[in-house]
Amino acid sequence: MEEYPEELRTPPVSLVALFGYSELQASISKHLHSQQPPINALAFPDFSHISLLLVPDDQSSVASSFRDPLSVSDSSSPVPARCGGILKRDWLLKHRTKVPALVAAFFPSHHIFGDPTQWLQVCSDLDSLKSVIRPKNIKLVVVVVQSSPQEEISEDRLVALRKRAELDSKYVIFFNSSIDSELSVSLSRIASAFAELALAYYREEGRRIKSRVEKRSSNSPDLNVRYCFKVAVYAEFHRDWAEALKFYEDAYHSLHEMIGTSTRLPAIQRLVEIKTIAELLHFKISTLLLHGGKLIEAVTWFHQHKASYEKVVGSTEFIFLHWDWMSRQFLVFAELLETSSATAQGFSSLNQGTAEISLTEFEFYPAYYYQLAAQYLKDKKCALELLLSMSETAQEINSCSESITPSGYVGQFAQLLEKGEGEALTFHSITDEEYTRYTISEAKRFQDSFEIIAWLKRSYESFTNLKAGRMAARCAFEVGREYFDLADPNNAKKYFDIAANFYRQEGWVTLLWEVLGYLRECSRNLGALKDFVELSLEMVVLPVTSYDDSGNLKNKNYGPGGPATFSGRESIHQEIFTLLCREAELLSSIGGNGFKLATDSPLHLEIDLVSPLRPVLLASVAFHEQIIKPHAMCSITLSLLSHLPLPVEIDHLEVQFNQSMCNFVIRNSQRPLWATSSNTVQSGSQVENEPSLVLVPNNWLRLTYAINSEQSGKLECLSVLAKLGPLFTISSRAESPAAMEDLSVWKHENRVESLPTKDPVLAVFGQKATQVDELEPQVDVSLGASGPALVGEDFTLPIVVTSKGHAVYNGELKINLVDVGGGGLFSPRETEPFSLESHHVEICGIDGAEGNDESESETGNIKKIQQSFGLVSVPDLKEGESWSCKLEIKWHRPKPVMLFVSLGYLPHGSEDNTQKVHIHKSLQIEGKMPLLISSQFMLPYRRDHLLLNKIKPAPDSEDMSSLPLNEKSVLVVRAKNCSEIALKLVSMSIELDDKQGETSCLIHQGGGCGDSPSSANLAPGEEFKKVFTVIPITRTSKLDLGSVHLKWRRQGSNITEACVLTKHKLPEVIVEASPLVMNLSCPPYAILGEPFTCAVRICNQTQLLQEAKFALADAQSFVLSGSHSNTISVLPKSEHVLSYKLVPLTCGEQQLPKITLTSARYSAEFQPSAVASSVFVLPSASHAKKTNSTVK
Amino acid sequence: MIVCVAVVGHQNNPLYIQSFTDADDALKLHHIVHCSLDVIEERVNNPKRSGTTLNEAFLGLLYPTVNYKVYGYLTNTKVKFILVTTDLDVRDTDVRSFFRKFHAAYVDAVSNPFHVPGKKITSRTFAQTVSNIVGSYGLN
Repeated sequence: MEEYPEELRTPPVSLVALFGYSELQASISKHLHSQQPPINALAFPDFSHISLLLVPDDQSSVASSFRDPLSVSDSSSPVPARCGGILKRDWLLKHRTKVPALVAAFFPSHHIFGDPTQWLQVCSDLDSLKSVIRPKNIKLVVVVVQSSPQEEISEDRLVALRKRAELDSKYVIFFNSSIDSELSVSLSRIASAFAELALAYYREEGRRIKSRVEKRSSNSPDLNVRYCFKVAVYAEFHRDWAEALKFYEDAYHSLHEMIGTSTRLPAIQRLVEIKTIAELLHFKISTLLLHGGKLIEAVTWFHQHKASYEKVVGSTEFIFLHWDWMSRQFLVFAELLETSSATAQGFSSLNQGTAEISLTEFEFYPAYYYQLAAQYLKDKKCALELLLSMSETAQEINSCSESITPSGYVGQFAQLLEKGEGEALTFHSITDEEYTRYTISEAKRFQDSFEIIAWLKRSYESFTNLKAGRMAARCAFEVGREYFDLADPNNAKKYFDIAANFYRQEGWVTLLWEVLGYLRECSRNLGALKDFVELSLEMVVLPVTSYDDSGNLKNKNYGPGGPATFSGRESIHQEIFTLLCREAELLSSIGGNGFKLATDSPLHLEIDLVSPLRPVLLASVAFHEQIIKPHAMCSITLSLLSHLPLPVEIDHLEVQFNQSMCNFVIRNSQRPLWATSSNTVQSGSQVENEPSLVLVPNNWLRLTYAINSEQSGKLECLSVLAKLGPLFTISSRAESPAAMEDLSVWKHENRVESLPTKDPVLAVFGQKATQVDELEPQVDVSLGASGPALVGEDFTLPIVVTSKGHAVYNGELKINLVDVGGGGLFSPRETEPFSLESHHVEICGIDGAEGNDESESETGNIKKIQQSFGLVSVPDLKEGESWSCKLEIKWHRPKPVMLFVSLGYLPHGSEDNTQKVHIHKSLQIEGKMPLLISSQFMLPYRRDHLLLNKIKPAPDSEDMSSLPLNEKSVLVVRAKNCSEIALKLVSMSIELDDKQGETSCLIHQGGGCGDSPSSANLAPGEEFKKVFTVIPITRTSKLDLGSVHLKWRRQGSNITEACVLTKHKLPEVIVEASPLVMNLSCPPYAILGEPFTCAVRICNQTQLLQEAKFALADAQSFVLSGSHSNTISVLPKSEHVLSYKLVPLTCGEQQLPKITLTSARYSAEFQPSAVASSVFVLPSASHAKKTNSTVK
Repeated sequence: MIVCVAVVGHQNNPLYIQSFTDADDALKLHHIVHCSLDVIEERVNNPKRSGTTLNEAFLGLLYPTVNYKVYGYLTNTKVKFILVTTDLDVRDTDVRSFFRKFHAAYVDAVSNPFHVPGKKITSRTFAQTVSNIVGSYGLN
């Protein structure tokens, strides 16, 4: 596209000429240029330069041998007898840069309205200007430049000026540059007037030429094309794209009709001219279509263009001209597509159904066109080379084509001859022979290959971006081939590699063969032996099975690899193996391949699982057993498969394991021993001999041997190394038969597939790795547990390590606590205060055995303890020795726990290669609650308080007991041994948790005498009770009584051992003041038949009058006197006594008549408790005395 | 004239490829067939853009190269048939009927109990049938 002149590539821009006032011209030009659409300005400083405007062309004067029908001055006689050409080369440029659409004359206002002499000067300037522009219909604008807006304007002069200039009043413009605001107004006024006039000029010119097209359409097709072109250009000037497109297409079609009819020039040149113009018109049309966003139309147009001219080859001898032209069409269209915005939006919105020719996906991308452009250029290159090789007069061509240049017409060439001495140069038309000579010599100057490579690379990138990998691979392949032809193996290799990698993935063997053939040649040229061998081997193992090579080996359509046939594989195989496996005496000689294989540079190939060389040597290794004992023999089967076309003899095989001690060698006994030993197999390792080691194509070579391993752990076969000849080794990664993948290139082939091992089970499930067991441990670890553990105590557990045949070195004891339930030792849902410690069971410490203190101080001794994990180092033990330690575990909650202990040690000192022996032990330990603590409140005897809370409990205090304020209540605390172990209770006390508790209640130990000992022995199931008195002194709805602190230890354990402290939180109580207190006073006992007095005192503790209703229920065992029911009023802070006389009728413990008191104020009813309101009735007074005396 | 036909497996591996030209441009035809797989992929992945409906096996013109036109056909098992021709005006109906016959021949070939699915087609009968179909192409 860059080869087109700029005026053709860019849309036309209107041109104006400015005269006078050079100081203003710069700013005006700038302003015009920034307009939308822009206007270019020619600036002339003053009117003396009028003659410079419309200077006739140098060219037209030179080409005087032709008549020039294009220049406008000739328009009066538009039918020339003989037309020189279709389009003049510089016509468009002239209208872009020389012929303005309008001329603007700038005059200062004082010249017009002032001095008459100056006015006359203005008039004469205008006249001369008019005489120049009038014949060409160029428009005129007069600009009056005012120095200030207040300047005086003479109306007469202005009218005279208009008359003189023959102008409408709106084209006489006042321009004021003195004030900024005025300046911009003036500038925009000028710009709009200019744009309007320029548009009018181009429209008129277009109309003028169009009328000519319409008038004489039949006459000369040359002129028709030219006029259509001009109309189209003028239409472009005035931005009528539709009309431009229409006339360009008209011109194109008229031109196409000329192909057979025109006789003006010699045949070849005629066609060249037509094609050149067709190309130009096509370019214009495509540009217009693409800029209009009509992508489908543009592509369809291109198709038509290609189809119309594809067969217009011209002389077959010089077909390269046609290929060159075709290639240029594709290239230009590709570049247009690439730069156009239409492609950016993609073609998702396109509907292909509407197009007449069905278009395919990639035809909308420049990549497609770049690729074809390169292909045509390649055709051109070939045609040219053929032509040059045939022409014997190449030398001559060079000599006589010097003076030929492009002539004044588009697509024509002429000889520039010097006439006489001096500047008179004339164009002479040339013959076809001269022309072809010229073009050949021109074509020879170009390096087509670089162009081809550049375009293909662009195509490659574009296809890669489109994710069209195969197209991209093809482009890469073509690039590589072009580089290969240029003898640039480095670059060629780079691109061939891209293509080869792609073809490898898809298994297109013939294509891969071709690329590999080129790559092989590249590496040969580069002298890269390893690459050469690898590529050759890869080619050799390709699944090419066709035998068809019917003499087309010489055909140059094939790459250097030759055709993909079986015999091709065989010959490359032989070439490679003669190169690599020569006998020692031949080593220094230089082979036919040009490679020198030096003795000190052995060649080693690594084959892994993804290598394309995998079919060269496929190694499948299977252990016969999955687990083997140390030092025991184990069978291993080694199966090798090769897809080389010819049998290969292996000198020796080395089998390598992850335990290098196990490596072994299989030697072919027919081959001599090579002095060079490998470094992978240690001397003294296992050596097996085989009568022959020959790999037959597509047949497994199966070998079974026994090996043993001393080291425990995983034993895995890593690789199999085959030595072929003195210097060539191939190492193939070992594969398990169970996990062997198909060879990627061979998997689609029809062939007999056999199993790698004869044993079908091994072939399906065989593994290349096996597990070697550990040694039997000969050390005992015992965990001495003594029954269940109790919550809260430090439970000690002795661990004894006893050696029974092995010494222990570097011993390490790992201790793990695991919850039996599996839920872990920590449950975050528990929110009780003492479970804030995260673990319910934890290891507190590990107490080393006697004499362990010094070893602890040694460096390197490990002793790590976490809450459920511990690590202890065990000192070195000799045979028969033992070592013990104590593990301390603490339970916070009752929970069964699994204890795992594992000991790892080295049985033989500090040898590095030996492995640790492990012993595992586990024990389940139950954690139990030792004591069950409960508490109970008791109110004072026969003194009942009206506790409102008890009667109408608050919603949230259902379980809480209420205590009366300032009254002594009794608290009984019980501790029951619920474990199976006898415990010794050391002390029990109540501790208040906070200071508030101390001020709100008083707690004393009950009894105060020594008959309740603070320490006691508790057998399993026994209970210990202790009484406390509580006097609440503050009224509160929640009294915290603190907690019971119980100290205990296991009975019989050492006194020095610390006691365990168990805490039990006492329930919270409600403290309230009771408004009424009912006291029952009654003798301690009664005697049958003897009356006694019983009084019920109702005490009002409030400041209010309390009305109380009481009711007395009769009792069967008593005769009662007194009021049965009544309502009484009790004065504030006073007492009301109800007194009864009772006669017991029955002996024994008797229930007194039950009194029920109802407080009217609180509408609450309460009764004394049943226990308090009973009395023992003795049969006689003597009993009473006896009882009294015993009590005393 | 048909110059090449090909059967391509669902992993885009060639199953059968046969050219019918005297000139030695078999390799070039291989390249063309291989490249046309890109177009098939593009067309199958973006069915909206192309005019062909999803239900139809015939994919239409894949792409025009300098001298050849490439047509495609996609079976339900994602096996692709590709036809390369040198004819400039090709009638869609001809190509469709060709592919129908070709598909039938392919089905016969893979119905052979000794044929392993996914392997190359080596049946001589298939080759014979294909060359007959190619020979009769465009005659009616």
